[in-house]
Amino acid sequence: MTEYIDVDVRPILRAGGEPFSVIMAALERLEAGQGLRLYATFKPIPLFAVMADRGFMHSERALDGGEWEVLFTPTEATENAAAPSGTPSFDNWPEPAVTLDNRDLDPPEPMVRILAAAEKLGPGETLSALLRREPVFLFPQLEKRGYRWLGGFTPDGATYELTVRAPS
Amino acid sequence: MIGASISRWTMSYFAMAIAWLFVALALMVAGVGFPAADVAAPDTLVLAHVVCIGWLSLAMCGALFQFVPVLVAKPLFSEKSALPALGLLTAGLASLLAGFLALGGRLPAWLWLLPLGAVLLIAGFGLIVVDLGLTVWLRPVGPARFVLVGLASLCVTVAFGAVFAFALVGWAGSTGQSLLAGGVPLHAIAGLGGWLTLTAMGVSYRLLSMFMLSPDVDDRKSGTTLMAGALAIAVTVVGGVLAVELFAGLDVVLSIAAVLGLATAALYGRDVFAIFRARKRRQLELNTRMAMLSFASLAGTALLGAALVVTGDFAAHVGAFAFLAVFGWLSGLVLAKLYKIVAFLTWLETYGPVMGRTPTPRVQDLVAERRASKWFVIYYAGVWTGTLLLLVGQPWGFRAAAMAMTAGVIGIVREVIRTRQLADVANPLRLPGGVRAPHLLFARN
Repeated sequence: MTEYIDVDVRPILRAGGEPFSVIMAALERLEAGQGLRLYATFKPIPLFAVMADRGFMHSERALDGGEWEVLFTPTEATENAAAPSGTPSFDNWPEPAVTLDNRDLDPPEPMVRILAAAEKLGPGETLSALLRREPVFLFPQLEKRGYRWLGGFTPDGATYELTVRAPS
Repeated sequence: MIGASISRWTMSYFAMAIAWLFVALALMVAGVGFPAADVAAPDTLVLAHVVCIGWLSLAMCGALFQFVPVLVAKPLFSEKSALPALGLLTAGLASLLAGFLALGGRLPAWLWLLPLGAVLLIAGFGLIVVDLGLTVWLRPVGPARFVLVGLASLCVTVAFGAVFAFALVGWAGSTGQSLLAGGVPLHAIAGLGGWLTLTAMGVSYRLLSMFMLSPDVDDRKSGTTLMAGALAIAVTVVGGVLAVELFAGLDVVLSIAAVLGLATAALYGRDVFAIFRARKRRQLELNTRMAMLSFASLAGTALLGAALVVTGDFAAHVGAFAFLAVFGWLSGLVLAKLYKIVAFLTWLETYGPVMGRTPTPRVQDLVAERRASKWFVIYYAGVWTGTLLLLVGQPWGFRAAAMAMTAGVIGIVREVIRTRQLADVANPLRLPGGVRAPHLLFARN
């Protein structure tokens, strides 16, 4: 069965960023036989040809709200590929080493605590944090320090869930 | 870059805005323009444009360059237009003011300075409208919609102003002449009501709920407020231009706009009240307490306007009404938020890179609220006394009130500069290893 590495570029797309380099970087890190599970805010048709050139088949599935989940599977592994079901997202990211509930802290204390906790993570470890707002001022700081993150609002829009991964 | 980085030129805009505010205060203390001169006199035009373009619009644009990316969680469309726009606006305003001085006979009759100023201002505001407008356009959510309507109103205001500038030198034809004769209230309402007030309302929704830990106002509720405000401006502009061109009076149009304006203020009051009631942070910071005085001034402006209309004295006291709107509501809010924004941005710029790696001060450590609060109180006391003295026709007393306002602003600006210089941060924390003190006038991002 093919193992899929998750790449969620939705936060990047929502922020108006360019996700291509992140996808390509994830591609470089794949081990032989591994596939890529991509989450995007639109069906990334131009990417299909690029990935086909690199030896990946694709199969896509529409999610709620116009978003897409795309599985890129290395062609030599397709015979063995099983249906992607029940695999939790971020399954290549370890369970959070630290969990923070920063929802009731005065700004900018949530950002201070996340950066302080992030600095204590070991290589490749993650932390998760609950926030009231999208931490727009935190992202550039994380980026400068080489951290990766995934985040989004819960369906009720009241809580922002953020996962930060230290550089490995 | 994803998220919002620090806007490089916001501090430069704030500094230039404050410089113009001091020019305006000096003019009022010296008795140049209203109330010593007529509301329509060239000297009053100088004063009004120093305040509205130099002080309020530059401060608002500086704040928007920083906060529009926060409102839409997207980077600015372009980082490159802020500084050229500042240069164009400064040159355009200087040329416009010199044109007004020429109009009043204080300079030789170089009236061509007026259209030159208008063209430079169109270029400067145009750069800003395109940059901010395109940033918001792709994700017009929540308070960002207020900014879009505000920017549209800015375009209308500038267009009116440009027609007037060309008409004053006789280059705008008969349409321009009739607009100049009857359309000045439309220019003022689009500028003060549409551009400055609606934009300030939009930004305040987010700033208030952010700093008080309150949920955002429901989009439908703020949408109703915006709809009322946008309708007031649309009625004023469209109805007003039609009325002027048909040589009908503006009374009907302005009455409808006034009712809609009152509704907007009331709906905004309802929204702000809801933010205060739902807040998790019980202890209010100075900037929020001072913003409350600005909201009180907005309510006072609305009541004063209604009372003057009922008693039939509005035309006689339009100066006092505009003064309270400009210095109580708009300038008060800008000063209060400037105090907080400078502290926050300075903190983020200075300590962001080392945060979590070494102990850093809190934002509150950069300010001395107790010391600053008395200057705000002096400022507001000056504004409210000044409004009363205008209403009772005491121009000399008004100049004394303007002196009190000046003292207050000097005190507030001194506090803001101390914040920027980290002067109140105790020493082991002030500049830990690897931290550079920020530049006073721009951000090194």
